Amino acid sequence: MTSLESIPATLGIDEAWVERGGVHWLAPGKLTVRDLAKGMNEFHARFVTITAYELPKDQGLRLEYHWDLGGQLLGFPFQLEDKSIESIFDLCEAVDWIEREIHEGFAIDFVGREYEPLLLREGQTAGVNLREEVK
Amino acid sequence: MSYKIPMGPYHPGLEEPYKLEMICQGETVTDAKLSIGFNFRGIEHLAESRNYIQVIALMERVCGICSNIHTLTLCQAMEDLTGLTPPPRAQYIRVIVAELERLHSHTLWAGIAAKLMGFKTMFMTCFELREKVMDVLQAISGNRVNYSMNRIGGVNRDIDDPAGILKMVEAIEAEMARTVIPIFTTSSTARSRCAGIGVLTHEKASSCGVVGPTARASGLSQDLRHAAPYAAYAELEFNSPVEQGGDVRARLMVRALEILESCRILRQALSKLPPGELHSGDDKFNFITGTATSRVEAPRGEVMYSVSWKEGSRNPARIHVRTPTFANMPAIRWMVLGARLADTPLIQASIDPCYSCTDR
Repeated sequence: MTSLESIPATLGIDEAWVERGGVHWLAPGKLTVRDLAKGMNEFHARFVTITAYELPKDQGLRLEYHWDLGGQLLGFPFQLEDKSIESIFDLCEAVDWIEREIHEGFAIDFVGREYEPLLLREGQTAGVNLREEVK
Repeated sequence: MSYKIPMGPYHPGLEEPYKLEMICQGETVTDAKLSIGFNFRGIEHLAESRNYIQVIALMERVCGICSNIHTLTLCQAMEDLTGLTPPPRAQYIRVIVAELERLHSHTLWAGIAAKLMGFKTMFMTCFELREKVMDVLQAISGNRVNYSMNRIGGVNRDIDDPAGILKMVEAIEAEMARTVIPIFTTSSTARSRCAGIGVLTHEKASSCGVVGPTARASGLSQDLRHAAPYAAYAELEFNSPVEQGGDVRARLMVRALEILESCRILRQALSKLPPGELHSGDDKFNFITGTATSRVEAPRGEVMYSVSWKEGSRNPARIHVRTPTFANMPAIRWMVLGARLADTPLIQASIDPCYSCTDR
């Protein structure tokens, strides 16, 4: 199994892991989420989930991607500039439902995929978890 | 000619509402589509308007079967944010209630599976045993469904008579070993209805990211109680049964063997229950700003909570819940491909789905 220490260098990240709140965090820097997903596939890490946060005031949205590597929970935060990020559905089948849920909850567009309704019904507006009403 | 058969959202084969739309050629399923969201209650959003006491009661209601697991996972995350460590006795009590909940969940599932197999006497036997497990939970907590056992820094109630509880557990274990386990593992009815159907291959289980007994029945050896021990699991000896078949029978076998392992854990935990306090800290909690994540091996698999807090606030800024059924359910599409239409109610039930958890 891939060791935790070897992952940053393999992914081309200069930062080191920071253990906090039950998670080994690694700032992805310039690494795209798709390159990260490809790396996780190579390490045989198990995808766990993505958590979306609406940050205070005009700070936008943050997504935290989680994988499990032999019982260790890995976390990679991505700050979104424009409410969109590339989808990794074609690289990781397990993200299908959570990408759809986040799209419906936070109106985030996962570029490169199509959506079918998950928790909402056909015709309902995405963004039900946002503090401000989406029009 | 192909035709579409909808199962649900309201259907006798489903315990809760969801929809499985199947494309069939004759009696064979060639494709399937799942629709969820019929139980969507907006609990994550609601949690942001509850204080640190109220939010525990709210999250206990995410699931009607593994209610304790949700508060355990939430409290572990909140303990990380408050710097509290539960005392040893509380850690053992958490294990005891969690394993009783696993027994309850697996026995309930076994009863439902028996009903879907057309094995009605087995259904009655399982539900009678489930009642006995609930009697034990009631003896400990005073409640039969939402036990209200967990609090930040420990547990709310003690186990005053561990020897008495142990006797009740041993009686349940003896009955399980005498009836449920041998019938499920050896009877021709169970074998003929379960063997070779609803197969989820090791590769597909891995790519779908399934968890819990569904994963272990497809040869994936993953169990957070071993891989990332919490509460007092590191001090207890037990096995996590793994089967290679990936079919409904393998999922049945894994759960049957897990029932015995849960009894083994309960015997150890009740015998070794250490003396001491039930919780650390008082009723005032100082949360730090940040996010804490906690994972627990629920009866259906891994539950994960991400809890975000702002210092000085009484309410969480965000709670995200990833339930095991959310991870397991998409795999149903692959399990029913090529199956006979008549087997699909049992196949979808074999992951022990919980739609209330999934929708939240």
